[in-house]
Amino acid sequence: MTALNRHLLHYLGWRLLQSLVVSTIVVIGSFMLLHLVPGDMVDVLGGQRGDMDAELMATLRARYGLDQPMLVQLFHYVTGVLQGDLGYSFRNSNTVLSLVLQRLPATILLVVCSVAVAVFIGTLAGVFAARHVHRPIDVIISMVVLIFYATPVFMTGLGLVIIFSVKLKLLPVGGLTTPGVDMTTLQLIGDVAQHLILPVLSLSLFYIAIYARLARASMLQVLNQDYIRTAYAKGLGTSHVIIGHALRNALLPVVTMVGLQIAELFGGAVLTETIFSLPGVGRLAYDSVFERDYPLILGVLLVCSFVIILVNLIIDLIYTLLDPRVEVSR
Amino acid sequence: MRPAKLLLGLGAALCALTSFAQAEEPVRGGNVTFLMSPAPQILTSAITTAGAEQVVSSKISDSLFTYDYDLNPKPLLAEGFSVSDDGLRVTINLRKGVKWHDGKEFTSEDVAFTTMDVWKVLHGRGRTIFGNVTAVETPDPYTAIFVLSKPSPGMLKSLAAQQAQILPAHLYKGTDIPTNPANLKPIGTGPFKFVSFAPGDNLVLERNPDYWDKGKPYLDKLIFRFIPDPATRASAIESGEAQIAPQNLVPMADLERLAATGEFDITTKGYEFQNEMEMIEFNLDDPVMKDKRVRQAIAHAIDRDWIVENIFFGYGKPAETPLHQQLTEMFDSSGVPQYAFDPEKAKALLDEAGYKPDANGIRLKLTVDPLPYGEHQASIAAYMREAFRAVGIDLTVRAQDFAGFVKRVYTDRDFQFTVNLLTGGSDPTIGTQRTFWSQSFKPGVGFSNGSHYVNPEMDKLLETAASEMDPAKRKAEYHDFQKLAMEDLPVFPLVAVESVTIASKRLKNHTVDANGTYSNFANVYLTPAE
Amino acid sequence: MLRRVLLSPAGFVGLFLLLMIIGMALSAGYFFPKGPWALVARPYMWPGQRPGLPFGTDSLGRNILAAIFYGARVSLIVGLVATVCALVVGITVGSLAGYFGRGVDAVLMRITDAFQTIPGFLFAIVLVSILSPSVTNIVIAIAVVSWPPVARLTRAEVLRVRETEYVQSCKIIGMSTPRIILTQVLPNSLSPVIVVAAVLVATAIITEAGLSFLGLGDPNVMSWGTLINVGRPSIRSTWFICVLPGLFVVMTVLALNLLGDAINDALNPHFRKR
Repeated sequence: MTALNRHLLHYLGWRLLQSLVVSTIVVIGSFMLLHLVPGDMVDVLGGQRGDMDAELMATLRARYGLDQPMLVQLFHYVTGVLQGDLGYSFRNSNTVLSLVLQRLPATILLVVCSVAVAVFIGTLAGVFAARHVHRPIDVIISMVVLIFYATPVFMTGLGLVIIFSVKLKLLPVGGLTTPGVDMTTLQLIGDVAQHLILPVLSLSLFYIAIYARLARASMLQVLNQDYIRTAYAKGLGTSHVIIGHALRNALLPVVTMVGLQIAELFGGAVLTETIFSLPGVGRLAYDSVFERDYPLILGVLLVCSFVIILVNLIIDLIYTLLDPRVEVSR
Repeated sequence: MRPAKLLLGLGAALCALTSFAQAEEPVRGGNVTFLMSPAPQILTSAITTAGAEQVVSSKISDSLFTYDYDLNPKPLLAEGFSVSDDGLRVTINLRKGVKWHDGKEFTSEDVAFTTMDVWKVLHGRGRTIFGNVTAVETPDPYTAIFVLSKPSPGMLKSLAAQQAQILPAHLYKGTDIPTNPANLKPIGTGPFKFVSFAPGDNLVLERNPDYWDKGKPYLDKLIFRFIPDPATRASAIESGEAQIAPQNLVPMADLERLAATGEFDITTKGYEFQNEMEMIEFNLDDPVMKDKRVRQAIAHAIDRDWIVENIFFGYGKPAETPLHQQLTEMFDSSGVPQYAFDPEKAKALLDEAGYKPDANGIRLKLTVDPLPYGEHQASIAAYMREAFRAVGIDLTVRAQDFAGFVKRVYTDRDFQFTVNLLTGGSDPTIGTQRTFWSQSFKPGVGFSNGSHYVNPEMDKLLETAASEMDPAKRKAEYHDFQKLAMEDLPVFPLVAVESVTIASKRLKNHTVDANGTYSNFANVYLTPAE
Repeated sequence: MLRRVLLSPAGFVGLFLLLMIIGMALSAGYFFPKGPWALVARPYMWPGQRPGLPFGTDSLGRNILAAIFYGARVSLIVGLVATVCALVVGITVGSLAGYFGRGVDAVLMRITDAFQTIPGFLFAIVLVSILSPSVTNIVIAIAVVSWPPVARLTRAEVLRVRETEYVQSCKIIGMSTPRIILTQVLPNSLSPVIVVAAVLVATAIITEAGLSFLGLGDPNVMSWGTLINVGRPSIRSTWFICVLPGLFVVMTVLALNLLGDAINDALNPHFRKR
């Protein structure tokens, strides 16, 4: 086992280094991409239902460093990041790091809860369907799950809001907490949970389909492998076979999918955050694209990429644990 | 110096008080949730012209005046004012005993500092409004004298809190104003104090117990919730989670349905200071748009009544001049050239201009760039595409986001015409002038004579009227302006927009003057639920 | 194989629905020669309120049924083209990375990581903003955003299959590498990928609807997303403007997934017997 540990550490170190390289590519690439977008922050400020004159615009551009050549701006930015300074958002009168960290919890909560709910229910449904493949219950599960998947998030979201918030008045219309009310920590947890029920539900309904189908497909694939048939032949009971052998291998694509879902969810959460007015990072990034607030967009991308790379690393580790036949590829 | 309007100021205050006493008894207490979108990013409007910042900061900090429905100034932090005979000195008498939320006294120093170091330097519109201010004298802590290089009658109409918020000199002087932490933890003189701000989520304000207007405000807490989705906002109002949504934040399509429940008040008052106009802005440098006949043909091809009925649900009026009908002092459409919906006339004009139909009936291919702010401009452009087919124009609608629009239209000038939403403001010098004054044209500067309209006669009219002290003469000059603008047609005004506030019937006094929901809410109270 | 697909109930229903929708797309010009943009009646008319307008009219008075027929074209084309591009790129990258491992894997996966760490939808928004909203650019944006998951999934499957006995035995008997990849590895890795392909087309259609929902759609092209966006402000009163195209999105996605299932089952002969 010691050899494996050493191997793993070596692997981790190497991956971490590669991750830093990836993040750098992401940041530089995004920076250059953003500068290709027409218009800049001062253009946006000038149009905010107000007026600007050329003098003020020039002053502001010089202030924000927007009048310098792109490479110079890039250099300043990168050196800043290396010192932990992600820049300052003038529009928000606050540092980028604070702004992003302020909004990150809402998105992480939303994403983690949605994935957890989706994976749990989806895998259960998928495995169940695989066990009863081609029987009516299999078809029904697949159909129900698909219908939820196919319905655009905003329709399920709005539908849920109309039913539970407006008609039944059971749950709040949006937001993360009830503002203006003093609460104990326990009450706060309950308040947040109450606010998250509908957004998590609408987001996970979409993803349940994916995990169900994936679990079902891999389960079916695995159930017919030779080693499974061998296990049956050896006289091992059905449940033992399923949980002991089949599930572990069937979970591999599911685990992989979770890895790449996390990335997707961060951006896709924009729609859910919009409908449920959650103060998350997806909405922050979306708004900052339209504001041409470069430091803020880059800050969000940078922080998100760190989180995502971390998650992928963990996923890969879980993957090797699940299937020891797979060599830890360098 | 003759005090011209000092008594008027005091008299207005007295009238306001008595009329209020005749109304029903206000209820003290309660929390009100106010819907807002987009979310404000900072909590002061002194350095930005964004709407959300204006709405929230006017509750935290009072301004010198507020304005009644006819845009006459009513005292707030200023008790009265007087203007010298030559119009070059405006003396403001400040209220005594007003305290900032941190306990320091409000003095003329704050007014002087904010005018010279903030409004004139960092505020997009402030540079225009206070452009003629050379200095602000402070002979004593309760008197501020604006010294002008030219008379500026428009300035006195622009001293409301959303356009002219006063900052505390003791916190801002000598600091880097845009990065000052007080932008996020504001100290003001208003009826509500800052409690907490969760960016993108909510803002909580509570009653200022030391407010200068004793006994007010009536509300305990004022909570702003930032909800980006229109349907969610409608749901929040309907479920009672929020009590008020201004400025068309609840989609017009929902208003009828909500009004039918009998639980809500809908009003279009309270936007008299804004006067938004939907306009077609022609690019006069474009070879096709140069020809006035083409512009006139386009005007005749559009059914503005249809637009008001179907896109604005009746909330608005077909525009007759570049000025909004709500600007009652100045609006005058008598003798102004009109462009009725007349497709035959449009076709005749195009024939005249040399654009005859080809084998497919197409005379001309054009592009339009609607302003990407809200839905209305895009809908108008889509309607125009169909309406123009009937007169043989093949119209392509181009889309980009806000910054892209500003760059394409105002920097690159790569457009033929836009569907634009222009704020007229409480005086023609504030918003409207920028569209027609040749000196406003500066490539790169947005919403400033995008047409590149140059007419020395128009320039003279505008410049004279801007400094005209005699109200009757001023009105006549702006009447001439309206006639000339519609004759030359550098822009074609479509709709005089009426913005809508919807509020719970239990919420009283949310709209009592021209600033409507943008005012300080000191008089607002909530009657208990039945 | 087609027979097998048709015999399964899922496949039959899926194919039927898909053909119906393709039929709508192809016959749009025949049934509605005026096109989807013509203002035919008063806005906000309810379905069936007037004969000839079974789906009612939208916010400007356009025939919703016509819009849905024409919209089928756009949504299908966007979905298919974007997915094909994403698949080609993703499968290539993933199988090369998974089979060869080591350096090739590292480089390819880091590139994939880089693309993946930018939140997809956001990246699409930025791309469409740069390139400006048009159908072509939306397809490009969706394809660029969709290929990384395909690559990763393919790689994972290839990694697994690479170590199995039959692939090892092929190596031993000296089969050429491309032959191994194409005839042994890929066919056995592709089951989850085929499932994902159906998911991808559906995602592409939904992403296009999402972009239109946010106002980034092509304003000169009528898609289901355009209609949904148009109906959004009035969703509480005239909800059919939003819901009807939504239903068609649901139907198309359903059809694609059912078909994907059936093809998956047909490709894997093991499943025929239980």
